[in-house]
Amino acid sequence: MLYQTTPEHEALRAKIRQFAEEEIKPIAFALDQANEFPDEAVKKLGQMGLMGIPYPKEYGGAGLDVQSYAIAVEELARVDGGAGVILSAHVSLGSYPIFAFGTEEQKKKYLVPLAKGEKIGAFGLTEPNAGSDAGGTETTAVDKGDYYLLNGGKIFITNAPKADTYVVFAVTTPDIGTRGISAFIVEKGWKGFDFGDHYDKMGIRSSTTAELIFNDVKVPKENLLGKEGQGFKIAMATLDGGRIGIAAQALGIAQGAYENAVAYAKERIQFGKPIAFQQALSFKIADMATKLRCARFLVYSAAELKEHHEPYAMEAAMAKMYASDIALQVTNDALQIHGGAGFMKGMEVERAYRDAKITTIYEGTNEIQRVVISSAILGKAPKSAGGGGGSAPKKPAPITGVRKKTIFREGDAKEKVEALVAALKKDGYDFTVGIPADTPIAQAERVVSAGKGIGPKENMKLIEDLAHAAGAAIGSSRPVAETLKYVPLNRYVGMSGQKFTGNLYIACGISGAIQHLKGIKDASTIVAINTNAGAPIFKNCDYGIVGDVNEILPLLTEALGTGKKKPAPPMVKIKRPAPPKPEPIGPRYVCGGCGYEYIPEKGDANAEIPAGTTFDKLPEDWVCPECGEGKDQFIQA
Amino acid sequence: MHCVREVTDKLYWVGANDHRLTLFENIHPIPKGVSYNSYLLLDKKTVLFDTVDWSACRQLIENMEYLLGDKPLDYLLINHMEPDHGASIEEILLRWPKVKIISNDKAFLLMRQFGFHVDGHELISVKEGDTFSFGDHTVTFVAAPMVHWPEAMVTFDTTNGVLFSADAFGSFIALDGELFADEVNFDRDWLDEARRYLTNIVGKYGPHIQLLLKKAAGILDQIKFVCPLHGPVWRKDLGYFIDKYDKWSRYEPEEKGVLIVYASMYGNTEAAAQCLASKLCEKGVTNVAVYDVSNTHVSYLISEAFKYSHIVLASVTYNLGIYPVMHNFLMDMKALNLQNRTFAVIENGSWAVKSGDLMSAFITDQLKNMTLLNERLSLASSLKEDKATELENLANALVESVNA
Repeated sequence: MLYQTTPEHEALRAKIRQFAEEEIKPIAFALDQANEFPDEAVKKLGQMGLMGIPYPKEYGGAGLDVQSYAIAVEELARVDGGAGVILSAHVSLGSYPIFAFGTEEQKKKYLVPLAKGEKIGAFGLTEPNAGSDAGGTETTAVDKGDYYLLNGGKIFITNAPKADTYVVFAVTTPDIGTRGISAFIVEKGWKGFDFGDHYDKMGIRSSTTAELIFNDVKVPKENLLGKEGQGFKIAMATLDGGRIGIAAQALGIAQGAYENAVAYAKERIQFGKPIAFQQALSFKIADMATKLRCARFLVYSAAELKEHHEPYAMEAAMAKMYASDIALQVTNDALQIHGGAGFMKGMEVERAYRDAKITTIYEGTNEIQRVVISSAILGKAPKSAGGGGGSAPKKPAPITGVRKKTIFREGDAKEKVEALVAALKKDGYDFTVGIPADTPIAQAERVVSAGKGIGPKENMKLIEDLAHAAGAAIGSSRPVAETLKYVPLNRYVGMSGQKFTGNLYIACGISGAIQHLKGIKDASTIVAINTNAGAPIFKNCDYGIVGDVNEILPLLTEALGTGKKKPAPPMVKIKRPAPPKPEPIGPRYVCGGCGYEYIPEKGDANAEIPAGTTFDKLPEDWVCPECGEGKDQFIQA
Repeated sequence: MHCVREVTDKLYWVGANDHRLTLFENIHPIPKGVSYNSYLLLDKKTVLFDTVDWSACRQLIENMEYLLGDKPLDYLLINHMEPDHGASIEEILLRWPKVKIISNDKAFLLMRQFGFHVDGHELISVKEGDTFSFGDHTVTFVAAPMVHWPEAMVTFDTTNGVLFSADAFGSFIALDGELFADEVNFDRDWLDEARRYLTNIVGKYGPHIQLLLKKAAGILDQIKFVCPLHGPVWRKDLGYFIDKYDKWSRYEPEEKGVLIVYASMYGNTEAAAQCLASKLCEKGVTNVAVYDVSNTHVSYLISEAFKYSHIVLASVTYNLGIYPVMHNFLMDMKALNLQNRTFAVIENGSWAVKSGDLMSAFITDQLKNMTLLNERLSLASSLKEDKATELENLANALVESVNA
């Protein structure tokens, strides 16, 4: 096999190199100094058909292969690292998820202008608490029927705010980790979608990077990318491909620095000859060239695998990790060869040295790349040391199911109450309407409920006032009705009493006995107010304030409004998302010798087949653990 | 006295009916009896296709002696070795010592395990695709593993289009003279028992039934007779029964409707189940069946569960758990691989109501591809007016889901 690019690849390289040398190189220093985006050059790239290199012509792309795309990024980065990442973030991150996971309508509406270069794309995954660990995502998208309500923010987003189309990841089902994340296509200009400041970065300064801010952004249902809960999968698949782009960028930056260093070393005369021929430098150049060649093969090979739909995640991670690691070494050596001149602003090698650093960080740090690579080789780490393959018992889910568990902690009591009211209003609660306080619990849309923590009977006035302000009926815990007799018996909420299946339940001074929690598990929203931060109710609530009912309830009553309430319209139940079941990792197979069913999620501990092994990955000599028939006697269940 | 019927030219039913057996496989009640079908082909060579249960052996021998006359029995062909068909092998070997046995290696292994002295006779081991000629008639063999034993195979006579289908396409109920499915009102009198037979005996092995159906589809136009080992012979309207088998083995419901199974100690849970049934009918969902889990044999419940699209389980709490008989029903549904149903739950308890959570967890964690409705009716000892809304909500959710 001849490891060589095709003449077409080299023709494309020549075309892009010419463009980069003529259009970008002359302004690169100015862009770097001014922290400025090369609008004109990017527009021209689009006109040249280079903004959609690897996408089919029917979607406005160039219909070329992934390797062509890598070469394009490499050549742009060779003269300017920032220009390289503009293309990489646009093609790999902004466009790819729509190409791979979008519906036909989404592709027509969004991919076509992206691939034609009429629009610029970006990708919003990273958050302050969700970097390498996407499970920490805090941006939320709440299903409101016709649309999703997007709230939260993203940081370090390449191509923002220049980009027009953003693929954004947000939590649609809280508390179940990455399975609760979904992807959305969000357009610049939508109400509530704003940008933070353009970051002042160390390198790649011609690429713009900004914060995304979502404040009640209504995302139409049809802009959900893939299915609910597929966000993490989409993000990971996108990053796999994106790594090829970043690897190509690192390669290009290093290549540019290397070429500059070789040229300089051949020109600079010391001790009567070009310094290139000092062995210390000639060896350095040999090492640099070798590293570049290794990196290039890794990058092109990963691109080729992707092009041919072969598994490539590990290879892309290797390419990204190695190319960026050596980019730091090569740019460092290149600057060293330049001596003091390389340390001066305006020298290309100085810029390359700064530009290179980000490539070991973004698109997954190189530490994460090593996680990706090693887990592809070794699989998942065993869960327990010395155990028989059994997994640790899972923590039981809260009795009321998956809840937001947002506890307001910032500021004084008044500020906490305001934050709570704002959150409730954002969820769609209208406090200008209300229901009679004696509405039967089972039919009530809202209930304000008192627990033993309410204190003496006169405090029930606080509950009555709050119930009025919240437009709610009055309920209680079992002891408040049965023992204290503050309310009639038919007002207590719990499994043996009345079940609340309406929308809003405000539990005041209720600690959350199991029987009580079971009676409210179908509530759409549970609010907890209690002095004891460790009370079970806080693990079962959507919103909570830790505080004394004597202080909090009057403030909350005030904030909700004490005026007369209009009669509430018929209740519309706000549905809570059911936590999606984990998708099977592979089909089950049934033995023709005995009916034993092989379940990939369980594996076969006795044959040392780890949990998570799909049937096709079982060794050829594996036999049915029950009757000893071979793999060929199994049929798909 | 012999008691035989002609299936088609030179092929005779030589089996027997059994009304004295109470429990089939010593587990499933068979109030209407069962037949053990055995078939004799009088070609140039004579062939017996499978034998009968030991209790029916004398009838089989009388039937064979009548038809064979002076001729010897040349071949004994065994499709399925389970003792309700294989138990008379030993007697056949003693009476016709020169008979050659045609079967497969797994079946020969089982014959030795059960203690039939087959060694010493000529054993002809066949595999799928092999053919064998008895003179005018040539048969071919198709493996039917796990329908419902590993050695099971079916034999197809390419000359007259007879498929000896082993336990596939079988049914409970004694034939009592009527040999052919077109001689009875199958839909009215037999379907329920055929379903109960299939779902309880072979229900777990849906994928393997599907595999067999796929193989049969290739020769469907050549099949003229289906001769199972229990129940009537099919010579008309094969598609009707194949369609049922297809549904059952894909675990797709036959009918949109609601099966309500209750576990009630003193009638209170039963009353709630009855209230729900009435509500459903009032709201237009009239295909409702209600059973008391304690006095209905689980094989009937399994059969109904395979029939209906929706299942409501109503159970008291017993020793902080699910009522044992209800728990047994749940475990049977799991064992028989039932899938693709929508469940709802009614729970009752007088001090700690546990059965609803436990049944829900069983349905979602232990059964496959089940949908569990969110609406649940919880009773403290008995159903009272204060639960009217909960009952209404449950009924509405079921109606909406059935009509969806």
